[in-house]
Amino acid sequence: MFNTIEEYLEELKSEMQESDIALIQDALADAREHLSMALEAAREKTPDVNEADALKSIVEEYGTPEETASAYQEIERRTSPFLKQTVRPSSFWGRVFGVYIDPRTWGSLLFMFITFVTGIIYFTWAVTGLSLSVSFLILIIGIPFMILFLLSVQGLALLEGRLVEALLGVRMPRRPLFAQPGLKWLDRLKALVTDKHTWLSLIYLVLQMPLAVLYFSLLVTLIAFSLGVMTAPFAQLIWNLPIITFGAERVFLPYWVLILLAIGGFLTLTLTMHLARGIGWLHGRYAKALLVTD
Amino acid sequence: MTELSAQTKKFQKELNAGTSSLVLLSVLSRSKEPMYGYQIAKMLEESSQEIAIMKQGTLYPVLRSLEENGLLESMVEPSVSGPPRRYYKITADGRAALIEWLEIWKQTKKFVDANLKG
Repeated sequence: MFNTIEEYLEELKSEMQESDIALIQDALADAREHLSMALEAAREKTPDVNEADALKSIVEEYGTPEETASAYQEIERRTSPFLKQTVRPSSFWGRVFGVYIDPRTWGSLLFMFITFVTGIIYFTWAVTGLSLSVSFLILIIGIPFMILFLLSVQGLALLEGRLVEALLGVRMPRRPLFAQPGLKWLDRLKALVTDKHTWLSLIYLVLQMPLAVLYFSLLVTLIAFSLGVMTAPFAQLIWNLPIITFGAERVFLPYWVLILLAIGGFLTLTLTMHLARGIGWLHGRYAKALLVTD
Repeated sequence: MTELSAQTKKFQKELNAGTSSLVLLSVLSRSKEPMYGYQIAKMLEESSQEIAIMKQGTLYPVLRSLEENGLLESMVEPSVSGPPRRYYKITADGRAALIEWLEIWKQTKKFVDANLKG
């Protein structure tokens, strides 16, 4: 039925078409691990065994692609990412102010602040690694260096995926991608270089820095502005400090303006929270498009 | 006939949904060393020689979900030939869960047996 492990994996992939691509990646990694070990064991027992014949009995025990696919889908239904389970308030006001108790909002905020740090690290790593790889190519260490660098890119992509899943609630791969075993250095490099996933991950890592700067400045500005406007009335009421000064002229605002200011500040903060959650949602989709292979 | 065997398969699958977690936890609690999927599958195969209760492929997603719930922990180790292996080890939470689950299993067994006898 299956002549090679790759054929089984292909079939498993097409059985899981409807599933989340991150789940497919996990299922493929598990199947590859098991099948190649079983095949190795079969070869040890009878060295001249045909791969197709050996696979037949192995698959009988492991399960057909269809059975394996349904096992993963069954479990996945029971364990979805933690942040996905949010309360959905039904009223309009509930939806507007519910943003404060939505874990995704806080997850997104945290993600954007963390991105400010990781973005710089990724950018430095990617740019340094890429330029060193290219310039080393004329030397003997060029190819091993480039392979190590490109592998590190895939590793970073996996790590970033875990971060995205934890904080943005988007299902991302939980297992690393594996290259085919037993490849020569040059073939391994070729596989890495021709893999779309490597380059998309690299682009993602480089773009993280400009995005991080954008997110960080946007959020810090908006949060500082809304908190400032919100608390300004207290400065006048409690410490008698003027909110506006023109040179020596001190302007004290009437009470009703103070109340409006506080409310306005709170509304801006609420809008900022919505914006943060929205950016988090978008970034999750974007990360998935670039970091997960299909 | 096919209708009946499909029903039987479904019944077996539903039974396995709970018992496979229990069996995996118990196997890993008895093992001193961390074990990888293939090793566990082989061990289960030896202890149930007559019929294959569950397909080996269904063990992996269960291991994964046990890990996600903190009952197991895992680490990847490269192997000389082929893809790296993921080794699983039971956690303290896992051991605590196993004690409770064993109790539930005993009760369930008693309950089912008592009612099957009529």
